[in-house]
Amino acid sequence: MTISSVLLKTVVGGLAVVAFSLVGHAGRPKRFAGLFSAAPSVAVASLAITAVVKGAAATVPYAQGMVFGTAGMVAYCLVSLYLIQRLHALIGSILAWLAWLLVAGGLYLALGR
Amino acid sequence: MDGRQLLEDDRERVGFDWSTLGSVKPAELGIRFAFGAAIALVAGVAGAVAGPRFGGLFLAFPAVLPATLTLIEKKEGTTKAWADASGGVLGALGLGAFALTAMLLLRWNPVAALLVALLAWTVVSAGLYFLFRATGLFLRQDRLASTSRS
Repeated sequence: MTISSVLLKTVVGGLAVVAFSLVGHAGRPKRFAGLFSAAPSVAVASLAITAVVKGAAATVPYAQGMVFGTAGMVAYCLVSLYLIQRLHALIGSILAWLAWLLVAGGLYLALGR
Repeated sequence: MDGRQLLEDDRERVGFDWSTLGSVKPAELGIRFAFGAAIALVAGVAGAVAGPRFGGLFLAFPAVLPATLTLIEKKEGTTKAWADASGGVLGALGLGAFALTAMLLLRWNPVAALLVALLAWTVVSAGLYFLFRATGLFLRQDRLASTSRS
């Protein structure tokens, strides 16, 4: 993976996040808008660039890792529901990263390596 | 959580109000870009250093959610931020459909695979949203997750 392709992923990933977040901002009601908080924005950009730079086969292990990350994402959202109302959005949603780390990291260590 | 506000939210018509995009401040977009770019960078570097499967974990890292939820709470209150996170649970389940579809199809045709995977995310997350909305499952979810009712 060259530095230029990582930089390209960085810029396109950032732009994809902005695009999905604008769709979410326009979405009504709030729960529906929340779907876009978990949109595959970085994934689409990153997988597409990997496919162009390194070929289709190179994208598969990234997608395999993403499956474990997704389980962590579900755990993150569930835990954040509890923490937001106790600690408010900033601290609650940052502390919930631990749930992602435990689930995604645990699954990776157990099954992914 | 304000239960009445959540009920009103669930009764609101689903759609997109594009006129609200005019109220988005450049700084808010900058924050989201920065978090999105940062996690894309982490995924790329982690993939290069520790292997692509490890890098792939970060393609589903909730990097932008803290910024999004904090901005919503600041502007519209904790209940609205909570509602956004509860929609995020369903979006995350859709993300699982995206990842599995991509994993199975990417080898054959990456463009078609990503389009089908995006469709899978849309169908699963929106499908679950409308299922929860129509059957009252949101109310159950609210009761299970909420510490106080009003």
